[in-house]
Parts: sequence; structure tokens; C-alpha cells
Amino acid sequence: MRAIVLTWEYPPRIIGEMANRVKTLADALVKRNVEVHVVTFDDWRVGLEVDNNVIIHRISNPVRTHTSILTWALTLNIEMERVVADIYYNAHGKVDIVHAHDWLCVPAAVGLKHALQIPFVLTIHSTEDYRSHGSTTPFNLAIKSIEWNGLYEATKVIVHSQEMMMEVLMGYRVPESKIAVVPITAPLWIDKILDIYSSARGGKNE
Amino acid sequence: MSDLHVLMLSWEFPPRVIGGLAAHVYDLSRALVRRGLSVDVVTCDFPGALKYEEIEGVHVYRTDAYTVPSPDFASWALLMNLSLQKQAIETMKKEENEVDLIHAHDWLSAPAGIAIKHITRKPLVATIHSTESGRRNGLHNDYQRMIHEIEWWLTFEAWRIICCSYFMRNQVHNLFGTPVGKIDVIPNGVDGQKLALSFNREEIRSRFAAPWEKIVLFVGRLVPEKGVNILVGAVPKVLKAYPNVKFVIVGDGYMRKALMDDAHMLGVYHKIYFTGFLDDQLLRMLYRSADLGVFPSLYEPFGIVALEAMAAGLPVIVSDTGGFSEIVDHDVNGIKVPPNNSDALAWWIIRVLSDPSYSDWLRHNALKKISEVYDWDEIARKTRLVYERVLREYEASTWKGFKSI
Repeated sequence: MRAIVLTWEYPPRIIGEMANRVKTLADALVKRNVEVHVVTFDDWRVGLEVDNNVIIHRISNPVRTHTSILTWALTLNIEMERVVADIYYNAHGKVDIVHAHDWLCVPAAVGLKHALQIPFVLTIHSTEDYRSHGSTTPFNLAIKSIEWNGLYEATKVIVHSQEMMMEVLMGYRVPESKIAVVPITAPLWIDKILDIYSSARGGKNE
Repeated sequence: MSDLHVLMLSWEFPPRVIGGLAAHVYDLSRALVRRGLSVDVVTCDFPGALKYEEIEGVHVYRTDAYTVPSPDFASWALLMNLSLQKQAIETMKKEENEVDLIHAHDWLSAPAGIAIKHITRKPLVATIHSTESGRRNGLHNDYQRMIHEIEWWLTFEAWRIICCSYFMRNQVHNLFGTPVGKIDVIPNGVDGQKLALSFNREEIRSRFAAPWEKIVLFVGRLVPEKGVNILVGAVPKVLKAYPNVKFVIVGDGYMRKALMDDAHMLGVYHKIYFTGFLDDQLLRMLYRSADLGVFPSLYEPFGIVALEAMAAGLPVIVSDTGGFSEIVDHDVNGIKVPPNNSDALAWWIIRVLSDPSYSDWLRHNALKKISEVYDWDEIARKTRLVYERVLREYEASTWKGFKSI
């Protein structure tokens, strides 16, 4: 199986909790014989690196000046699509799943899904409603709309806690059956992730 | 390549008209269809407009222009591009004949164009109609710098760039470092059909001037870069030698009050008619009824106004700047005066008004140039040559997709 992980932070570039969570995921997937490509932003280390068999594509944003993280994320996502398309064509179209993390990678995941029929799953680490206390300004609403679109387009939504599931359930009207609670501390968590991947691909296993 | 198929991305298309881009894409896409190409246009929706329609062979797809609130125009534009991209991909999948290339217009459709290029591995052609730096007379804040960099991104990702004038080509080269050899210059066009109206010329003239007066026409926004104050400054000088003339100033802008005050101070207010905005139809009739068009701009990326006047059979005086310099050949099909010089302007206005046979010679040559250079069928022919060149290079390259999406 070939999986592409989209994240805006990955060690050594650590902004919040997400970076190390995603690294734990990538390392665990590799141990289960998944070919993992991590596509992430890292202005200082742009290029390709293979670390413990995880293939890391570090990219920069072609547009350097921004007025907000919203414009930054939207342009970065175009560049992510470029890099994923290159992986896709180099692999002769054999990409099984895209795993996006938070709204910052949603536009790319949605674009790739529609154009190349790569199913995607979305992990929500935190929500804009929570971060901005209810998404009241146009800025927060725009971000929330991207989150909502990701939750709508994803085949499966993964969260790390019951609390997070309630947030997604209540704030974004996602049916409970679409959400899986998989804390990375739980026993057999990687098996659950692999199950989610294979069901997102229509039950195909390799 | 008889079945060349292009997909155009534009944020505006009639009936959604915001600037000049809508008319450009409308005229270009129809002219390309007349040249035998298949053309899809993917654009934003508009109240009352159909989600899909065929206009003279052009397939127009209108998609949701992202109605969620966004903090500013640029953020909205980037979000709207997600919709454009989704619609374009849907269109490309559905079509029986494969799309050969993507043509994006200005930064407002750059993100979608770039993403589709890479996802489908089809070449991207871009037209740069104007630049943020040109529009704002320099880059003064991060918002403008961001748009400037998105424009750079488009020039970087595009296989070839099309500009409407050599002036714009040089601007793109200087601002973005684009090699001049990557840019093709194809002038904008004017649709002469729209000007072919039957109407009562005397009746139209009587709405703006006395029967014994000649009409000198200015059309444009009343802002400093259009140089209207230079025209107002020339009025008393003209009247001294040639009193029977009315200056008709069409358009509006924040300088209107100041210009009217100038006219009062110079004692020529009764000889200048500030009409404000006129509807398209009346404006076309006015073009056809006036005696001379004067456009003393200080900055002009292309200068479509001069083309429209020339196509209407109006002799023109323009300032020797920007796109005007390329449209008008001095003393042949119009007059070029140095920018910001009301003395020179007045001298040439008197010269043209007082010599009808000279005026006819300018008019005649202007119409000839319009039909030879600024004709949409000619522009479509040149655009097709750009497409064919890109596709030849693409075919010879190793950068290709493997399935027809």
C-alpha cells in the first residue's frame, strides 16, 4: 500500500502537538509495510529525505508574502497538489490513500480526490470553532468552511478523543458513523488506522 | 491539430462583468471557436445566469463563486479558485474529446490553473492583462506584494505568457524576471460589429452640442492617470483659435469636482459637458457622431478606448505612453502628443479640427489598421499559433500524464 500523508508540520519543524503525532503515525505505517510519503512545509529543509523508510517531501510556499495564515494555506495547498501529482505520476497512478491532517491540508486533499480518484481520510486535531471561540469573523468562517468541506469530502474522519468527536459532531454536523476515535496511545491503534484505510479504498487489502 | 481543445479560466464572463476581462474572454473564446477550436470557459456564477450554456459554440460552465464570508478580496479569490478547480476537473472528465491545454487569465485564476496543470499534466498558458504593481503604481503593502507574487507564480508555472502590448511584455519582464522569449504579444481586439448601428446622427449630436459646434470627445475614468486635467487645460487655447467646439467628457471619478472647478476658473465651463457615465449603446452612437477623440493618459497598459474610437471612425489624439504608443502611428492613423503637455495637445486639436481632409486621412488609415491588427479573427489566429507551439513542445517533452483526465 502507498499512502500520502499531508501535514503542515512534521519534525524537526514542530509547531504544536500535531508534528509528533503524525511522525508516530508515519513510523508505525512503515513498520506495517506501507510506503509512506509525507508532504509537509519546511522552508529551511526543502527537498527529499528518507528517514526510517519514511519518504519526506519538504516543500516551501511559492508565494512568500502573506496577509494571513488563510492565504498562506491556500497557496501552499496548490504546491502540495503539485508534489502529490508528481508522486502519483511517478508511481504510475498507484496511490492508495491520502491522509490529511487538519484544515491546512484540506484543499489539496479534496482537489486530488476529485481529479485523481484517490480516497482521503481526514484527521481533525482541533477545530476552528474551538480555536476561535465560535468562528464569528469572516476570517474564522472562511477557515471553518474549509474544515467543513474536508469533513464532507473525506471518506472517514479520525479524531483522537471522544471530546473531539463531540466537537466535530455538534459543530459541523458530521454523522457519528463517519467518525472514528483512534487515540495513538490505544492498543492496536495502527490496525484500526489500516482498517480505515482499506475501507476507504473500498475494502481492498494488500 | 484540427480538434485543438482549450479550457479557459476567468473569474468574470458576461453577464458577470467587473472589468475588461469579461469582454476579452467572451470575444476571444468565440473567435477561437470560429477558427475551429473547442473552447470551454469555466467561470464564476452570476444571479440569473445559467450554470451551463453554449454561446456561439463556446461551452460556458459557471460555478459557485464561494459565498462563504472571507476577510478580504484576495482570500476570497483564493477560495473561489477551489470552486473553479473543481468545476474545471469535472468538465475535463466529462468531455469526450480530451482537453489539450489550460488558458488562465490574470492572477485571479492562477491557483486553479496551476493546480490543474500539475494534476492533469496539461500545459498552462496564461494571459497577463495587467499587474498589481501597474495598477497600484508600485507595491506599497503586504497585500499588494502577495498578489504580485501570485502573478509571478503564474508567469513561472505557465508554459508561455501572452501580453496585449509590448509595454505590458516589458513590464512583466521587468517585474517578474520572465524571459522576453517566453512572452508572446497579441494585441487586444475590438468588435466592430457592435459599432455598426443605424441611428440619427444629428439627433445624437444635438444632445451634446449646438449644431454649429464640433464635438471633441474624451472617454475614461476621471482619475489622474487619465490626464483629463491636461485636456481641460488645453480648452481655452483651442477656443482662441477655433471657437466652435464642444468638449464632451464621458465618465466619472473622484476628480470630477476639481475638473469642473478648473473649467470655471479658466472661463470655459460652458464649453465642456461632463456627462458622467453613459450606457454602452449611447456611448457607441456618440463615438460615431463626434469629430475627434482625445485621450491624454499618463499611464495606459493597453488603451482599448483608442481602439474603440478608431473602430468607430473617429480620428484620435493620444498621449505617447504605454499601449497608446503601439496602437497609434503618429501622423498616419492618429496623433501622438507628449504626455502632460496641454500646449501640444491644443495645437494638434486645432490642426485636426481645421483640416477635414487631414481628419479623413487619419480616420481612413485607422480603420485599416483596426481591421488588419485588432480584429478578433486575426487575434484568434495568433493565439492558436501560441497553442500549437506549446503543444508541439509538450508532445516532445517527457512531462506527461497517462490517462485522459
